[in-house]
Amino acid sequence: MLTKHQFLATLARWRNDAVVITTMGTVVPWARFSQTPLDFASCDSAMGHAADFALGIALAQPQRKVICLNGDGSMLMTLGTLVTIVQTGAKNLILCVIENSTYEVTGNQPIPGAGVVDFTGMAKAAGFPRTYTIDDVATCERLLPAILSGEGPVFVTVKVAPDEDAPPSRRPDAQAPYLRISLAESVRQLRRALGSDQ
Amino acid sequence: MAQARLILEELKKCHVTHVLSVPDNMSRALLSALWADGEIEVILVTREGEAFAVAAGLWVGGKTPVVLIQNTGFLETGDAVRGTGTRMRVPLLCLITYRGYAKWAASGLEATPETLNAELLSNMAYDSTAILVEPTLRAWGIPYDFLHDDTDVPKISAAFRKAQELEQPVALLMTKDTT
Repeated sequence: MLTKHQFLATLARWRNDAVVITTMGTVVPWARFSQTPLDFASCDSAMGHAADFALGIALAQPQRKVICLNGDGSMLMTLGTLVTIVQTGAKNLILCVIENSTYEVTGNQPIPGAGVVDFTGMAKAAGFPRTYTIDDVATCERLLPAILSGEGPVFVTVKVAPDEDAPPSRRPDAQAPYLRISLAESVRQLRRALGSDQ
Repeated sequence: MAQARLILEELKKCHVTHVLSVPDNMSRALLSALWADGEIEVILVTREGEAFAVAAGLWVGGKTPVVLIQNTGFLETGDAVRGTGTRMRVPLLCLITYRGYAKWAASGLEATPETLNAELLSNMAYDSTAILVEPTLRAWGIPYDFLHDDTDVPKISAAFRKAQELEQPVALLMTKDTT
């Protein structure tokens, strides 16, 4: 089975100058593969609101790809966003749901509908024109270049084995550099990287 | 009552690019005016909290969004306002229609820690949403003012500037239907 780290390592090779929004279980591990001003941790923010936050950036910056690495528990909190994404037609948004079927950072409690919920199916039903499911390394290597090119919005379910990352937190001595500044400072940094503060 | 076209022109003065909304009857005329005019993009979202997160992203990307929702939906937005508005220091004007304002204002009652209880909130004479919206705004640290009629329309620009100065969400409570 695919591990979260295998997926993130592959994604880091292909993301180019895309904005990458991480949340929950991908926040700390992503920083092991990428440390650029275009990486943003939706941490110390609001659970369930990484995908809609990413949608706003995508709509504001249509020339740039925006990749959201959402959690499956987080996605369940705001399923309506699937519909909003399609309605707004954000062609540059790639929404990945990292499906480990658990609330990993709180101790791997099972999410509602674990093993039954079909995230890719829900995205299709919401009207996503391109949907994918990745569940092994070979598929990940084969599909990611295509997923990240072409028009979206794109939805990807990434089925991974449960891991044991602790809850991410912002503090000056955080292991992940992008967690050493406040959420507000992270926002300012991303605005500078995007040229939004001109 | 405030005329939608005046509100629209005031939003244009602030160079607003997007309005994030869940429609209600009080904002119906304003939304119609926005769609008819076409200069400001309207994005309808599925839940009010989503409006704040999308707005935050738009602002990060260099746009100037405004949120237009009803007070009952505002009560749903708590964690989104906290986490994607205030915590991110997003200067964001929130136009909140004030369902139930007339009866509540006419009652002469005040919502205080002493008076706010199930007895008051279940009293069918008043809309509990109206009772709760101002205490909620205060609790969440969001400054607010009132837009009652046409003469208050310049308050839109004032609230917009305040949001910029404070780098946080600022609310304007619209107490009557837009026309």
